[in-house]
Amino acid sequence: MSCNTEKKIKSLWFIIGIFVLGGIIGLLFSFGVAVGVEKTSGDKFCTMCHTMQPMANSYYRDAHGGNNINGVRAKCVDCHLPHDSLANYLFEKAKTGLHDVRVQNFGDLESIDWEDKRKHAKRFVFDSGCMNCHANLQNATSSNTKAFIAHKEYFEKRTDKKCVECHKNVGHHILGDYIKK
Amino acid sequence: MLKRMLFIFLSFGVIAFAANVGDLTNVKTLKVDRGLTEAGKSCVECHAKLTPGHVNDWKESRHGHVGVSCIDCHSVKKDSPMAAQNCEGIKGTEIFVSSLVSPKTCERCHPNEVKEFQQSGHARAALQIQAKEGMISLMEYFEGRNHPDLKHSPEATGCMQCHGSIIKLGKDKRPTAETWPNYGIGNVYPDGGVGNCKSCHSGHKFSIEEARKPAACASCHLGPDHPDIEIYNNSMHGHIFNSEGSTWKYDSAPDAWEPGDYRAPTCATCHMSGIGNLKTTHNVSKRLKWNVWMPISKTREGGYETAVKDFENGKITKGNALAGNPDGSAVARTEMEQVCVSCHTTTHTKNFFNMADKHVELYNTYATDAKKMIDELTKKGLMHKDKWSDKAFKIWYHLWHHEGRRMRQGALMGAPDYAHWHGVFEVQQDIRELKIIYEKRIKSGKIEE
Repeated sequence: MSCNTEKKIKSLWFIIGIFVLGGIIGLLFSFGVAVGVEKTSGDKFCTMCHTMQPMANSYYRDAHGGNNINGVRAKCVDCHLPHDSLANYLFEKAKTGLHDVRVQNFGDLESIDWEDKRKHAKRFVFDSGCMNCHANLQNATSSNTKAFIAHKEYFEKRTDKKCVECHKNVGHHILGDYIKK
Repeated sequence: MLKRMLFIFLSFGVIAFAANVGDLTNVKTLKVDRGLTEAGKSCVECHAKLTPGHVNDWKESRHGHVGVSCIDCHSVKKDSPMAAQNCEGIKGTEIFVSSLVSPKTCERCHPNEVKEFQQSGHARAALQIQAKEGMISLMEYFEGRNHPDLKHSPEATGCMQCHGSIIKLGKDKRPTAETWPNYGIGNVYPDGGVGNCKSCHSGHKFSIEEARKPAACASCHLGPDHPDIEIYNNSMHGHIFNSEGSTWKYDSAPDAWEPGDYRAPTCATCHMSGIGNLKTTHNVSKRLKWNVWMPISKTREGGYETAVKDFENGKITKGNALAGNPDGSAVARTEMEQVCVSCHTTTHTKNFFNMADKHVELYNTYATDAKKMIDELTKKGLMHKDKWSDKAFKIWYHLWHHEGRRMRQGALMGAPDYAHWHGVFEVQQDIRELKIIYEKRIKSGKIEE
């Protein structure tokens, strides 16, 4: 075996090694990210800031917060992040997260008018989130006249109204009362 | 004996009569069980006794047919500014209701109708009054004499009955007498909703037939400043409607109400209905070429009405007086012509609008001359401080606000008496009078006694 061939084999192993190691590191990293994304998606993380406590309390009393016969609970991000694409989801998560950290630490929390913010709920509640869970809504309501009429224009895409523009308190039982306290 | 029997007989008659006069409806013992929730049923059943008129209307409505009942429109969330439990039946429960129903409720099922409405001139009706200092001072200071207790009656009994009000609530979450009831089309509700569907589709029955008849518009569009129902009656369209309109069909589906169902158009036909390729719209400004209510007429190039958007952003504005068709006034006119040609020839249609447009332009020459005189007098300090006691101002006001509108609207809706005798004839008389005052003041340099 010539010196050259030995070198070649060595460097081949080296390259393979890099890929394997890179793969392992990548897996560990993405596992970490996935865990991180998961751990920062629910009420426990979001209420680390006391600012969010009224939203959490009203959420616990709502069907979406587990107050239903099956105890099923939607996580904060199920409604408050878009679910149309992974990239959009992660981007919005990073953006919202950074914004909240900034305002929580450097902003004037007292001056936030939460009631006013509720008027613009459609900006931070995403229909793709709603439809991710309520995937069968269209079929389920088409035989119920009352629900069908209310959703007809939405599913026919003849209105640009978002879910939360009609379902005002959804997710947070009587949110207005909790914000005032 | 005979007298006594007669007396008893008569008494029974009186009692029976009194018992029946109060009986507006046959729903007093109504039992409903067709897909309504328990709470929904109990509202209907109890209110059949308490407010039979309401339930009777509902019973005959499409809402009644599809199972949309009292609670679906009147219930609000506990944290709504309108939430109340004044009704005994729901006290202490999780249910909160309001006597007020805002367009925000209607749009849950009728989003496009509400959106189109809000893009139309109708949506600015209440907001524009609140945004104009002059209007407030006319209603409260001049007409209401700035009386501490009585000054709100002119607007409550007058203006806002058509225009609508910014509804305020008392401590019990019931609306105040100064701001409600009214059937005004631009009502602003405490939850931020703007508009009033029941102005045209009167409460609880919400009938499409009713809204398609001229009477729906006539309660507001009448009188010296915009006699639109009189104009309609003066036109050939109104003549045909008045002689045979009671036999026409008014309940065809939207977009499918076509000539044949009727032999002449009503207000709704031209301004809203889907005919041929034209789509139904609740934007009554969309087919208008001109603004014919301002002092000087301009074509409507302003796109959509903006008052509601401004209000959502926390501002009360006069809105957009030149709102109309988003594609401009030429397209608006084309759309209106599409309505006309479903019955008339193109020549008929074009010739009609040709002369009507000229009448609007003729009016503009009068208004421009009059405005020039008023502006000059104002600049030279030759106008009264209290403009309502200034003769020149009053002539100018009547010239554009009364005679001028009649002249323009009469022309554009085919009403000869209004285009001419109540219109241009009066306008030319006005400008003569104004000119005499103008020349006198300019010459003498003072306001005549």
